[in-house]
Amino acid sequence: MKKQAVKTGGRVLRALSVSFSQKCRKGARRAGVFLLCILLILCLCSCWSQRELNTLAIVLGTTLDVGDQPDTLTLTAQVVKASELGSGTTTKGNSSGGKAYVNVSYTDNSVLAAVRELTRMQNRRLYFAHNEVLIFSGELAKKDIAEGLDVFMRDYETRMNVNLLISKGKASEILDENVELEKIPAIHISRLMGNQKSNSETVVVTLRDFAIATLSGSSAPVAPMVELYESDGKKYAKLEGTAVFKKGKMIGELNKEQTRGILWVTNKAQSGEKTVDTPWGQVTLEVLHSSSDLKPVKGEDGTIRMKLTIDVEGAIQGNETTENMSIPENVAMLKGKMKNDVRSDVEGALVQARTLSADVFGFGEAIHREYPEEWEKMKGNWDQEFPKIGMDVQINAELSSEGGLVKPVTPGGAQ
Amino acid sequence: MKLEKGSISPKELMFSVFCFMQGTVLRSGFIISVTRQDSWAMAITGFLLTLPILAVYTGLLRRFPGKNLIEIDDIVFGPVFGKILSAFYLFFFVSLAALNTRDLGNFVAGYMMPETPIAAVTLIFLVGCAYTLRKGIENLMHLSVLFSIIAMGALAVNSILLLKDVQPEFLRPFFQLKFSEFVQGTVSVAAVPMGEILAFTMITPMLGKDKKVGKPLLLGLALSATSMALVIIRDIITLGPLVAIVSLPSFESMRYVSLAGILTRMESIYAVVLVILFLFKVSILLYAFVLGLTQMLSGKSSPRINPDPAGQSYEAEQRRGRRSAPPLVLISVAFVFFYSLFVFESVMENMNWGATTAPFFSLTFEFLLPAVSLLVVCLRKIDKAQEVRA
Repeated sequence: MKKQAVKTGGRVLRALSVSFSQKCRKGARRAGVFLLCILLILCLCSCWSQRELNTLAIVLGTTLDVGDQPDTLTLTAQVVKASELGSGTTTKGNSSGGKAYVNVSYTDNSVLAAVRELTRMQNRRLYFAHNEVLIFSGELAKKDIAEGLDVFMRDYETRMNVNLLISKGKASEILDENVELEKIPAIHISRLMGNQKSNSETVVVTLRDFAIATLSGSSAPVAPMVELYESDGKKYAKLEGTAVFKKGKMIGELNKEQTRGILWVTNKAQSGEKTVDTPWGQVTLEVLHSSSDLKPVKGEDGTIRMKLTIDVEGAIQGNETTENMSIPENVAMLKGKMKNDVRSDVEGALVQARTLSADVFGFGEAIHREYPEEWEKMKGNWDQEFPKIGMDVQINAELSSEGGLVKPVTPGGAQ
Repeated sequence: MKLEKGSISPKELMFSVFCFMQGTVLRSGFIISVTRQDSWAMAITGFLLTLPILAVYTGLLRRFPGKNLIEIDDIVFGPVFGKILSAFYLFFFVSLAALNTRDLGNFVAGYMMPETPIAAVTLIFLVGCAYTLRKGIENLMHLSVLFSIIAMGALAVNSILLLKDVQPEFLRPFFQLKFSEFVQGTVSVAAVPMGEILAFTMITPMLGKDKKVGKPLLLGLALSATSMALVIIRDIITLGPLVAIVSLPSFESMRYVSLAGILTRMESIYAVVLVILFLFKVSILLYAFVLGLTQMLSGKSSPRINPDPAGQSYEAEQRRGRRSAPPLVLISVAFVFFYSLFVFESVMENMNWGATTAPFFSLTFEFLLPAVSLLVVCLRKIDKAQEVRA
């Protein structure tokens, strides 16, 4: 009887201990899962490599100048001052009414060295992911543009769709221009670049486009130029002309008509105006659409010529004369004038490109694509070959609309 | 729904192959630097070169239905020599797992979180892989369709957003390759992303004995080759000659997306998709390794990794305390973690290895060893082979 009781007690005890240990295990497991959840919550705030907005110096524009020591360059970064941005000029907010940006600058052997040196003077780290414009000074561009290009393309923070410009004079001064409609010069210039479609007188070049042209070997990269002008004692920036590069160095410039010529050839001209002289006075035509096609053609004697076809569609946008420009004879005359105008743009650019011996149109790439075998023979001395390449230009002009008036506004025109 | 848990359908296998490849496809920089604007064609020739390799695998798998590569080794070469051969395969799987983990770590640490140590990234990643394996690889494979849709969707969206920036003439002139470059490009594509399908020879028994394995593998590969060609074409027409000098062409093309100043910084989509696809790939490689290791060490031909679809159900197995995941998962993951840390000292070393040595390294395991196995099978077991065919 006693034995039996001991046996039963032992069994109960054993069962109890088993269930206890199972419970323990379950409890430990729950505790473990709970701890893990706490740990995961800690991860959520992502304190590792955290970058808070108030510790960043957001760079919107960067310029590179030649440094005062040999082999150095000056980096100037335009940092946005967020507290000044929010308030308008008339409202009284928390802002002190000062500039919405700060330009920080340092001269050192390389771009990265200058960026790092700046951390000794600024409490915030420069953050380049929102950089919108990259301006090289003409002086630096004439020496070497490679270093700036490499570092701005290699770094993971910077982007390749930043606008590239070359300044006449010191580049850092461009970022100090007076801005009236915008608050930040870099934004002004970047939006300016977005606006150039409507005049077709400026090449719009991103870092990617420039790098592609540089890598090609035959093409001469181009970049728009920006300069300061003075008005009422204040300095403002404007876009003017194009810089031409060869082998990583700036070798010359194109004026605005020649720039338009490049845009016609490379199918980048979109819109613009043409003022033509007629026997009665000036008439303004607007280019609505245009497209061009550049093709190398091999002649019977084996020489390669370029064949350029440009289609332009325009509209009469202004008539300063008293003559009715909507009658068919006048439309035909205007079309002819428009064609001549486009042709003279293209030819002007071609002459300048030949003088510089710089393939700004991408003839070399076009020949490479169409006639790879001939290209193998030509590419060795492309500098000598390029000026000899002839170009046939065919222009098809259309005037499709006359705007809102069928006849000009002339004094006494109602009688 | 009468879907037997623990087994997969041919369709899921096909999309798994696609997901498995896609991770590497998005990092296709390694061949573009050699074959430049003609790289897209390498995706097709590489696929064609993979066909004989695939024929070897299906030849082996068809002769031994329901068996995986390691089990086939044991049958063909006997317990001792078969194990040595299996050890080579396992080395290959674990190396690939470590290399891919390292690739992911390099990507995240290099582009996304430059201040985070690579070990923190790979550790968290591998914990995810271990979790996947513990929950059963078949669940991951069920998700492959969804992952494929995400990957293709991301690809399509990004490509459409790039349309305004592309220049199709960058593809010309066509086929300006030296013969040696052509061979190098083709072999690289065949060996590095496509031949890695070898890992699926450990998974095909999950299809069940009566299903054909060749078709889903082939279709999956064809799908991957198509998407690879499309991705490369997209990168070339966006980046032009730059494509040959940037380290991650797809990433750079997506960084270029800028539509109306609003739709920008699309690379985060790419990063998310890449991490998912890498998780998929490394999980499958790890599974192949862990399963092979278990089978080798236990010496049993079939250690109940995949519940037999005809036998007891998955739940019954679970109730009896058996896990669907093989043991040794955690220890293998730890091994891969350390392996991935010291496998390469730098990204440069990694790139150099990928461009020069990797194809030969991979082809040894992907083609040479299976081909020898098949040859031995044909010579020694002609009767059985005929029986199966009949």
